[in-house]
Amino acid sequence: MKTWEKKILSFSVMVPLAVCVPQTVSAMHIMEGYLPPAFGIGWGALCLPFVVAGIMAIRRLVAEHRKVMLLLAMAGAFIFVISSLKIPSVSGSCSHMTGTGLGAILFGVPVVSVLGVIVLLFQALLLAHGGLTTLGANTFSMAVAGPLLTWGLYQLGKKTRLPKLANVFLSVMLGNLFTYCVTSLQLAIAYPSPEGGMLASVGEFLLVFAPTQLPLAVIEGILTMLVMMGLENYASAELSELRGVKGGVLL
Amino acid sequence: MIAALLAALVLYSLFAGRLPALWLGIVCLLSGGFLFLLGHHRHDGILVMDLYARRSRLCRENAAFKMAAGGGLLILSICTASPWPPLVLFGFLSAVTVIGGKLEWKSYISLLSLPIIFLLLSSLTLLWDFCQQFPADAAAVLPFPGGWLAVLPESQQRAGLVLARALGAVSCLYFISLSTPMPELLTVLRRIHLPEVMIELMVLIYRYIFILLTTCRQMQEAAASRLGYGRLKNSLRTTGLIYGGLLGHSFQRAGACFDAMESRCYTGQMVFLTRSKPLSVGFALLLVLPFVGMLIWILLTL
Repeated sequence: MKTWEKKILSFSVMVPLAVCVPQTVSAMHIMEGYLPPAFGIGWGALCLPFVVAGIMAIRRLVAEHRKVMLLLAMAGAFIFVISSLKIPSVSGSCSHMTGTGLGAILFGVPVVSVLGVIVLLFQALLLAHGGLTTLGANTFSMAVAGPLLTWGLYQLGKKTRLPKLANVFLSVMLGNLFTYCVTSLQLAIAYPSPEGGMLASVGEFLLVFAPTQLPLAVIEGILTMLVMMGLENYASAELSELRGVKGGVLL
Repeated sequence: MIAALLAALVLYSLFAGRLPALWLGIVCLLSGGFLFLLGHHRHDGILVMDLYARRSRLCRENAAFKMAAGGGLLILSICTASPWPPLVLFGFLSAVTVIGGKLEWKSYISLLSLPIIFLLLSSLTLLWDFCQQFPADAAAVLPFPGGWLAVLPESQQRAGLVLARALGAVSCLYFISLSTPMPELLTVLRRIHLPEVMIELMVLIYRYIFILLTTCRQMQEAAASRLGYGRLKNSLRTTGLIYGGLLGHSFQRAGACFDAMESRCYTGQMVFLTRSKPLSVGFALLLVLPFVGMLIWILLTL
């Protein structure tokens, strides 16, 4: 293939990408008021055990080392900040990271679920991503289900001696994809299609959000990998301090 | 621009078969054009909603009342079975937020454009269904491999209701968050006895957000001035490095903060001076009346 042929081919691939992908892509927050009241309460109730366990874990940690509170607050602020900033993306649209995958790897699931609730509340009130009535559903998909899978896969990868960076990339990407599947499921359960029922509806939601969410998951995986690399270069002292404080319970 | 096209498509599917073709065209064009002109959202690392909340005139009113009224209206608006009350509420609360708070209409609409994109995308799936046989009563039909994609009247009704409820709810959320600064909200949350650990974390996170945003903006400007965002590969690498640096920096910062607080007798609790804001009768009536009206409407239509 000649150079100009390659250029024309890559241009013809870029055009549908640029046209089909909406301009604003954030991780899939369900919008305020979108779920009927029963579902909002139900998903919130499902998150409750994780959040309560997280609060208890944090309380115990803080009683031993008061400094952990500040470290966790910084981590929460960090998750919020990276989720509010634009990340480079393929199609010129603006995408945002979730950040909870990184949190799950660094702090474990219960702590991330508490940080996640707070960050999601702030996102609803300060950025208008998500909402108050959908806080439970969003917490379940983004701060419980996704981190749970990420953390599980990361631990599994560690056991099977996967190279560390590949492990981070895979677990964060799959966790992100899982979040997107769970959100689609939540939407479909609330609004099943009149013709094909819930399954058809899950398919429809997955399909509609796929062009935005699939590239986002890959990019978030790559970025988290780079962040881990940077952290090991610049902040290894703080990381080991954090590990020491937690006594390896959560990490 | 995509949002504008999407809006036109969704409105077309929503009203197809219900409005005459000319009106349908006008509605689609107007909404699409409106979003195209005004729907821009910025990220320059400034939390605009926080800024608007602090500037708002409604900031002087009692925070607990604003939260209770906003929350009550929010719950009512997602409980209604008819699309009209939430739509009226949307108009009313938007007017209260914008006129009462002396906010610019343009900024309010540009804030609205963000949730609207999610709403439009998901309404598409609510509106269009896959049918294997040709649907006789459909308002709009498209051929699709193996069957038909159709907009059925009942899905039009459902999508209309969901859209209306969501708009009403978003106006309630915006009323709360564009009229009450976060520290006041946190004071109210402390008064309703949320776990102390959580409140403490929230207060600290809110304060640290601004430190990190400023640091991050400086890092990004430094990287941009060295052509760090030239190509996709470079910009991915730069972003990863910045985020890693930011996290490392934030941990060091937390250490420094802890030392500073410890040396000022930090015992695990932070107390702030709060000014009491009495509730004014006019403002209370402004929100209680629509609440009672909506409640009566819901009870009557049960």
